[in-house]
Amino acid sequence: MTDTDTTTPTTPVTRSGVRQMMPSMSGKLLAGLILIGAIVLFAIVGPWVTQDPRSSDNDALLPPQPGHWLGTTSLGYDVLAQLAEGARGSLIVGVSAGVVAILLALLFGVVAGYLRGWTDEFLSLVTGIMLVIPGLPLMIVVASYLQVRSLWVVALILGVTAFAGPAVVLRSQARSLRVRDYVSAARVAGEKTPRIIGVEVLPNLLPLLASQFLFAIVLAILGEAGLSYLGLGPNGSITWGTMLNEAQGGGALTRGAWWWFVPPGLMIALFGTGLSLVNFAIDEIVNPKLRLAPAAAKSVREARKAGKDKLGRRATPTATADPSAPAGRPESDGAAPDQKERVDV
Amino acid sequence: MTGGPPGPPVTRTTSTTTPRRHDEEEPHARDTEGRPETMKFYARRIAFYAVTLWAAISLNFFIPRLLPGDPFSILMAKLQRAGGIPAGTENSIRLLLGAAEDQTLWEQYLTYWKNVLTGNLGVSVTNFPTPVTELIGDALPWTLGLVGTATIISFVLGIGLGALAGWKRGTWVDSLVPSTTMLQSLPYFWVALVLIFVFAVSLQWFPIIGAYDVFHFNGPEWSWAFVGSVLYHAFLPAVTIVISSVGGWLLGMRNMMVSTLSEDYVTTAEAKGLRPRRVFTTYAMRNAALPSLAGFGVSLGFVVAGSLVMEQVFTYPGVGKLMITAVRNNDYALMQGVFLVITLAVLAALFLMDLIYGFLDPRTRHHD
Amino acid sequence: MIRGKIRGRWLAAAAALTSVTLLAAGCSGSAEGNDGGDGTSAPAAEGTATDQELVVWAGSQTPITPNFNPYAVGVLHLANGGIYESLFAYNKLQDVDPTPMLAESFEWNEDGTQLTVKIRGGVTWNDGQPFTAEDVVYSFTNDTAKPVYLEDAVAQDESTVVFSFAEPAYANEFAILGSTYIVPKHVFSEHEADSGEDAEGNALQGLVAWDNAEAPVGTGPYMLDTASNAAYTAKANPDYWGGAPKVASLRYVGIDANQSAEDLLTTGQIDWTTMFVPDPERVTSTGGFGYVNTPVDPVVLYTCSNTDLGCEGAQTDVAVRQALDAAIDRSAITEKAFVGLAQPISPTFALLGRDDKWIADGMPKESPQSADAAAAGKILEEAGYTKDADGFYGKDGKPITLTLTSVDGWSDFNNAAKLIEEQAKAAGLKVTASTISWNEFADARVSGEFELIMGGVVGTSLADPFQIYREWFTGDYTQKVGTALEPGEWNISRYDNDEVNAAVQAASETNDEAAKKEAYATVQEHIVSDLPYIPIVVNGTQTFFNTTKFTGWPTEEDMYMFPPSWQGPSSGVVLGKLGGAE
Repeated sequence: MTDTDTTTPTTPVTRSGVRQMMPSMSGKLLAGLILIGAIVLFAIVGPWVTQDPRSSDNDALLPPQPGHWLGTTSLGYDVLAQLAEGARGSLIVGVSAGVVAILLALLFGVVAGYLRGWTDEFLSLVTGIMLVIPGLPLMIVVASYLQVRSLWVVALILGVTAFAGPAVVLRSQARSLRVRDYVSAARVAGEKTPRIIGVEVLPNLLPLLASQFLFAIVLAILGEAGLSYLGLGPNGSITWGTMLNEAQGGGALTRGAWWWFVPPGLMIALFGTGLSLVNFAIDEIVNPKLRLAPAAAKSVREARKAGKDKLGRRATPTATADPSAPAGRPESDGAAPDQKERVDV
Repeated sequence: MTGGPPGPPVTRTTSTTTPRRHDEEEPHARDTEGRPETMKFYARRIAFYAVTLWAAISLNFFIPRLLPGDPFSILMAKLQRAGGIPAGTENSIRLLLGAAEDQTLWEQYLTYWKNVLTGNLGVSVTNFPTPVTELIGDALPWTLGLVGTATIISFVLGIGLGALAGWKRGTWVDSLVPSTTMLQSLPYFWVALVLIFVFAVSLQWFPIIGAYDVFHFNGPEWSWAFVGSVLYHAFLPAVTIVISSVGGWLLGMRNMMVSTLSEDYVTTAEAKGLRPRRVFTTYAMRNAALPSLAGFGVSLGFVVAGSLVMEQVFTYPGVGKLMITAVRNNDYALMQGVFLVITLAVLAALFLMDLIYGFLDPRTRHHD
Repeated sequence: MIRGKIRGRWLAAAAALTSVTLLAAGCSGSAEGNDGGDGTSAPAAEGTATDQELVVWAGSQTPITPNFNPYAVGVLHLANGGIYESLFAYNKLQDVDPTPMLAESFEWNEDGTQLTVKIRGGVTWNDGQPFTAEDVVYSFTNDTAKPVYLEDAVAQDESTVVFSFAEPAYANEFAILGSTYIVPKHVFSEHEADSGEDAEGNALQGLVAWDNAEAPVGTGPYMLDTASNAAYTAKANPDYWGGAPKVASLRYVGIDANQSAEDLLTTGQIDWTTMFVPDPERVTSTGGFGYVNTPVDPVVLYTCSNTDLGCEGAQTDVAVRQALDAAIDRSAITEKAFVGLAQPISPTFALLGRDDKWIADGMPKESPQSADAAAAGKILEEAGYTKDADGFYGKDGKPITLTLTSVDGWSDFNNAAKLIEEQAKAAGLKVTASTISWNEFADARVSGEFELIMGGVVGTSLADPFQIYREWFTGDYTQKVGTALEPGEWNISRYDNDEVNAAVQAASETNDEAAKKEAYATVQEHIVSDLPYIPIVVNGTQTFFNTTKFTGWPTEEDMYMFPPSWQGPSSGVVLGKLGGAE
């Protein structure tokens, strides 16, 4: 499977082209954006509206009830308030780690892939080593080394241990883009390398970058949950991961306090789902076949069911009697020329 | 890399994310003979692995020594928590840990290399006097068995379902795919704990701990009853791993499938009148699976590292558990040993995947 | 009729005889403590003989490394009590005389420099060899176990051993009689030349290098049966001097997570364990389990308190420590962090209920159970601190800031630390609670580089707080900040007070209760006001045991021994007493 025909359009990106790169609204995208938006809103507004998450004034282990909509923990903290504060913490960690990972991946991936030669060899070596060293044990060791771990420190650790994957991907893309005509043209025209990378190469990588960024955020939030579970998360802060750690330590499940244990895990899952849905849409920009093929296949199926082929003609025995005809191909039917062109890109 | 069950690596979400072997540097480079290029390819790969191995082993040496605390004070703290230390034990702790001669870091480093090359990984402090090689040797089969098998199952399941979803693109089956992303975003230890609570404690359908029934068997033995016990005890952990990672493979495969099915050669195959099943398997799926296969190689290497928390939750006697114990007790020898094993495993898996991939896809050998 | 009457009379006579003997046993241990034990009582197993396996979790995690050498660091719990025994068994919970085990009686000489012990006769090792005074001598004089303060141990005759010390050694009575395991000379002496490698790969010589995993030879009620890296089993020793145990086999398992252990307990798969269970009713409500909570271990805030030895931070000012002490709401901490399972603590570190007689007149019995922010403020103001705009006390414009750390995963401690942070804030003290890893905790304690740490104190094994005073409060048992504490040195706070040191020394030289009380009064006077360790609560120790299958457990009514499954040698005494409940 080659990737020559699956990269973004070969025409250089112009202002109007940006709009061409934005995803088209679809059900999945909408659902994803709503999920993300709702959770971000919750993280921003929630802590102002809920109780103090660090006040143990309430009774311990109250089930959900008016006044404590998600109940209380074994120390008397309000779970909803902790969830809101935790949203802030987790999102900060996730986004920061994602930023760190992407910045590093840009350096080790794009710069390495474009420059080639010894720079490439050296940077690839580092990437390779980071890929090979076991990530979680490394994180454990580093986290154990630092006594005071703020949200930012944890984000840094997560970002540094996670950049290798995106770096590999970006590097291969950068190498591929390097030999494009317009890039060669820019080089011949005498443009400086940083400018080429910034103006010609990067914009074409944007969808890929965005996709890797969103993915890194999910990984970082899950990674923080894992670190917190092992007791190596940010101390002093509340995140969904620290909530899970405390719930587990306080025996939430065995004491029947599902309201303490379930919500943080669900929030992580919902946020991850939202990001993944948006990633779907980005995939479809990068690879238009993903967007068009399903729709095309669907229309062909419906047409067959209705007994007509694409041109609206009644099915004739010879045309449709062949039981081995697979699910219709947009191209093999008399599809509209523009549709065919777009798919063939 | 984040300690979850080895899901597909970052590379899966788009079809452009095939590993470096797929870059098109000189799209029109043709190589008639093939052999010198191939040799050069393998030579470069081997050189890369050798350097990486050296760097990783060196890092393995240094990192544990950066940890705060020393084994002695940790041991004392542990024993005190359990209720007091008899005088004889105090003496023995002193002997056990205080007898180190002063060696410079460089000398220790050289000694470390010498030991590694002769297969002497030292003696574990926490499991004194068991040698590290024995501990890892006992634990590795369990980790490979459980996590390795579960990963393979989820890979096969994911690829299969993903191919099906891709084949049926545009139908309702396809729209199920986004919902699997939810499963994949759940923290996998959360899934494990919930599963244990529901199925092992409340319903009591499955055991709570162990790789086999520790209440009846006095150690691994070769009997059908034992094998049955192993399978029974592996069920919940395996289900956890599969649930948490199948979504990723499914997604990647589905996307690749949809792309592949739009390719010209698939069109040709259908135009030739081949059976749908044949087009599906031989033409579409085989090609669509290639990137996933590459990713699988990488994740197989992380099998060992990814099993950490799982083994603690299920009291499964694997390598991940050794790692946690070692880090918590500043057990240098054990930590270095486990790091080494994991690194070697990852490198071996990558190398193997390179070979297989090079075999499967001749184009890769000519580039890079 | 007649038979019944006669039997009745015999029974009555037997009962009378037994009670007289027991009474005698109770009386012969005088308050002087010059001698103890009456030579006849032995643990008698209750219940019926049973084949049901007793499953124990004593805290082992996997992989279990078979090691039954009582001198080794990684020794498994079965060895400490189940296989090897000590001369006497001390009851950690009650002020009673020790139970004779391998010895029958002991006697001190006039000035505490000589201890004569009578050894029990008719005991055999589980390999058939006879147990003699030579074995006892060997157990105290071999290179690995010889205590520093012991000059010599000599077998005066076949059944008497005399220990001689350079200085009065009353304070070491428990160490010699209650916590040293007696090992077979004929087996252990052959392994003195064993060698192995230590952690750094250097050669290791001596008994420490031996794991004693092949048929360990001991005098205890059980012998090793099988061992794997997930569990090990034991079988009853038919020739046990106390009578063959009624429970035929034991199984000790390894469990990695407390949650799993609790789950196994609630599903009835474990029969004896001691662990923190926040909701014990859930386990006992099934009706199959008995439960006792025996608080013995004080929980305190270690403070690095002595600037002379290098401590730094606001907690070196005694006023700050006293203010913090007043600001803490101990009843809230007991209720919320310790789930109601802890017991009030005395700032004298005498265990309330057991050591009451040692609390000097005029000393507060309990630490204040409720928070008194006003009193805390007063103490600080009198020491020259002023409240700033944020409500925190400070000097010269800088507010007092303190860091309080606890080991992550010890949820009761972590929660208590969080509550203390809140309570301190209410009183105007800025305390930041955070969790740290094991490694950092151990390191900080031993090196002295910390401000406040939430940790535990090991409760004394007999009804006398002396060991705590000596090992946790005296200058001899500490080091400067930056120098690691030696094994056995527990004065983490670096407290060094000459009067306390002198008083402890005086108390160690006498066995006279009145003299000791006087010395303790001096010690208490200082530690109660200096607060090098800020007392919080006495932590509970929860033991669960299966009452449907087994009987003979220590219960509230008959607490004949400290019940935890992990404590040696008391667990061996319990094991010897168990039987089937049918």
